[in-house]
Amino acid sequence: MNAQQGAKLPISEHLPSNVKWLYDELGASSDIVVRTFSDANTGLDGVFFYIDSLVDQQTINQMLIGPVLAEIGENPNVKSSSEWMGLLKNKALSVGRLKDIHRLDEALAQLMEGNTIIMLQGSRTAMAASTAGGEKRSVEEPSSQTVIRGPKESFTENINTNMSLLRRRIKSPGLRVAYKQIGTQTKTHVAVVYLKDIAKDGVVREVMERLDRIDTDAILESGYIEEFIQDAAYTFFPTIQNTERPDAVAGGILEGQVAIIVDGTPFVLLAPVTFIRFLQSSEDYYQRYDIATFLRLIRYVAFFVSMLLPSLYIAITTFHQEMLPTPLLISLAAQREGVPFPAIIEALVMEVTFEVLREAGVRMPRVIGPAISIVGALVLGQAAVQAGLVSAAMVIVVSFTAIANFVIPAINMANAARLIRFIMMILGATLGLFGIMSGLMVLLIHMSSLRSFGVPYTAPFAPFIWSNWKDVLVRLPHWAMKKRPTAVSSMRNLTRQGSGQMPEKPKKSGHERDTTKQSDE
Amino acid sequence: MERISQPQLAALVVMFQIGSSPLFLLGASAGADAWIAVLVAMLAGLLLLVLLTLQIRRLEPDKDLVEMFRTYFGRVIGYAFAIAYFVYFSYKSVRNIREFGDLMILYLLPSTPLFIVIGCVLIVAGFAVWQGIEAFTRMTQIIMPVVLIIYAAFFFMIYASGLFDIHRIQPIADKGLGKVAEAALPEIVSFPFGEMVLFLMLWKYVASKKKTFRTTIRCYVYTGLFLTATNIVIIASLGPISQISVVPFIQIMSQVEIASVIERLDPLAASLIFAGVFIKMTAYFFGAFLVGGHLVKTKKRYLVVGVGAVLFIGALTFRSYMQHIWFGFEQNLKYHFPMFQIYIPALLLLVMLFRSRLRADGNRQS
Repeated sequence: MNAQQGAKLPISEHLPSNVKWLYDELGASSDIVVRTFSDANTGLDGVFFYIDSLVDQQTINQMLIGPVLAEIGENPNVKSSSEWMGLLKNKALSVGRLKDIHRLDEALAQLMEGNTIIMLQGSRTAMAASTAGGEKRSVEEPSSQTVIRGPKESFTENINTNMSLLRRRIKSPGLRVAYKQIGTQTKTHVAVVYLKDIAKDGVVREVMERLDRIDTDAILESGYIEEFIQDAAYTFFPTIQNTERPDAVAGGILEGQVAIIVDGTPFVLLAPVTFIRFLQSSEDYYQRYDIATFLRLIRYVAFFVSMLLPSLYIAITTFHQEMLPTPLLISLAAQREGVPFPAIIEALVMEVTFEVLREAGVRMPRVIGPAISIVGALVLGQAAVQAGLVSAAMVIVVSFTAIANFVIPAINMANAARLIRFIMMILGATLGLFGIMSGLMVLLIHMSSLRSFGVPYTAPFAPFIWSNWKDVLVRLPHWAMKKRPTAVSSMRNLTRQGSGQMPEKPKKSGHERDTTKQSDE
Repeated sequence: MERISQPQLAALVVMFQIGSSPLFLLGASAGADAWIAVLVAMLAGLLLLVLLTLQIRRLEPDKDLVEMFRTYFGRVIGYAFAIAYFVYFSYKSVRNIREFGDLMILYLLPSTPLFIVIGCVLIVAGFAVWQGIEAFTRMTQIIMPVVLIIYAAFFFMIYASGLFDIHRIQPIADKGLGKVAEAALPEIVSFPFGEMVLFLMLWKYVASKKKTFRTTIRCYVYTGLFLTATNIVIIASLGPISQISVVPFIQIMSQVEIASVIERLDPLAASLIFAGVFIKMTAYFFGAFLVGGHLVKTKKRYLVVGVGAVLFIGALTFRSYMQHIWFGFEQNLKYHFPMFQIYIPALLLLVMLFRSRLRADGNRQS
């Protein structure tokens, strides 16, 4: 019997055949539990059917089996199975979600969710009690997006935990959640979360449609979804943001973004997104605005450095030496004297070395960690220079580039800069500054043509939206950002905070207003 | 259809007008009064823009030039005019590409073959055209503030390094205004101010059409003043040398030296020119592409490759940079360009007015 036939199969009154069908469909796997119970006096005959590895044992024991067994023998007058069904539902089964089911395929789907099926002999209706459980990781500190000041919670792999982290941050009734199941094999739960009237309707609809279009057998991480629903297939630039910080997701939702939470991964997707969001960190909003602005400018610089520095170094030392001040030029020439390679080879060797080190640092067992820094710093840095393989200036350039890359808060944007860097290096080595300029032009044209769920990627630079500039190059204080950025949020509910909240020196100072007088005066 | 916004139109007008103009000393034959010639030409160009080009747009805001030709001159003559404008836009683009290539070789890549530089530039420009008018204007919008800020920084550096000497432009108009007018008309009118005729191909893409007139005029005037200022800076910094220098602006930048830290900025200036010339060239490429689309009746983007190939061959046919400059300033500006910038549009406007009068009469009679 296959699933196609099962799709039409109603639950029969004959209990053993129902159990057998389910048992056969699941291939008699060893983690299936069929717990029978019966009452000879009233002719009650039933089973609890569940998959051991998906359920929470404690719930089943205390909330289902315990109460049901307690009812047996207490009700000698109950005759029919439907009466028993009502009795169990109203008196015994103490779980929140209880669902009547009428077909066997439904029962199978419920089983796979970790629910427990309760079936009675002689009843065409069965019940599915929500008992999903299983081991899960507790909420920990974010490991990839750390902040100094700000919440230290991170999403986990469990979608319910993640939803509660989010709901607890935005207690508005306008927070809308729509669940979907994607993947014919994995049947992964995906939640689309947004704020009504703050997210654009069109964007929400577009997200839903694109999610519905996905036809795949497995979703194991939000990256799968990202690749299916992103706007441009061929681009270095991410058009969907991801984060493991609940506060960042809450902030995004409050600016009109739609969050896509995928069961099984702590990384939540946020769309639509513009380029500048990848250079903003949630900490920008927790720290004072002056330092936040400064850090943001540093990040913009770091983005360009990590993309362009090696290529500029190559282009200038190869083609445009006249641009350098003479003393610097002499010093560079002296360093490069013994180096047997042209600048591009030198740079490529060092860059590839660094990329290898970086990848090794991620893959390697944690115990060996310190070894890599010794190898990296001493052997590859100092020794390579002393051996005359690379110049000291090149080591400085490559290391600074590498460090600058880590400044970019979003790892996917940092990766874009990382890949573009290599193309730029080749352009710089073949066509000098002209090549780099051409490359930048192509990049700019490409970015101008990108959209993320209908929002231009380069907003608010182009199209130019002056009202959104309060949070781009600078971060103004919260009381000055009265409106949400219109590039992403809906026009219906733009006001974020009331006007006139700029702190002022009060007319009376605090201790003058203090009405409690000292009594012993 | 793709739409561009008013600020994007503004950015495009500004960058298009700036283009390669600050490179040259416009109106060099007027000597120290060249800047007055620029001002005069700007006003004359403004007149042309208000009375001719923008009038045509006002009458047919939803059509581009080729569609207007077809409507008012019939299919055959309209097609001939379309071919003429294809040649004109391509030729203008070719001139910019060639200028660009030669400058890059002069200042950045002395030993690279010309065809490689031109090929690269055409690939980048073709990519912009391929991505469509929206992406192109957005890019312009991002580049414009950067370019203007760098120009401002350059002007400041020229002043700070003491090169700027206002006495070099005095006495004002000592040879009489006749000489100034002679320099201004028709040369400077047709380059760069008369070139606004290209926008007859682009205006139809602009959203909220009511503001188009104002935006265009404003940006045109600002850019005209900017070019006048550049002219003053060039003359006041270089003096008489400016008239014999190949690229006076870059020459000034090579002389800037502040505290022996900021010096030899000419590669940087060349990169700045890159942006200006690139956008102008791409705009003309776009014009040629749009006209070409009408000519062979296709809306396929693959046409970019064909038009690009035409431009590539065209750009390599000039024998040398000097021939190219001479041909441009001596022949084209006086004889050829006014035809496309003034005479044909004027003819078109006359026919349009005549036809609309006829139609109005016809309506009254019926």
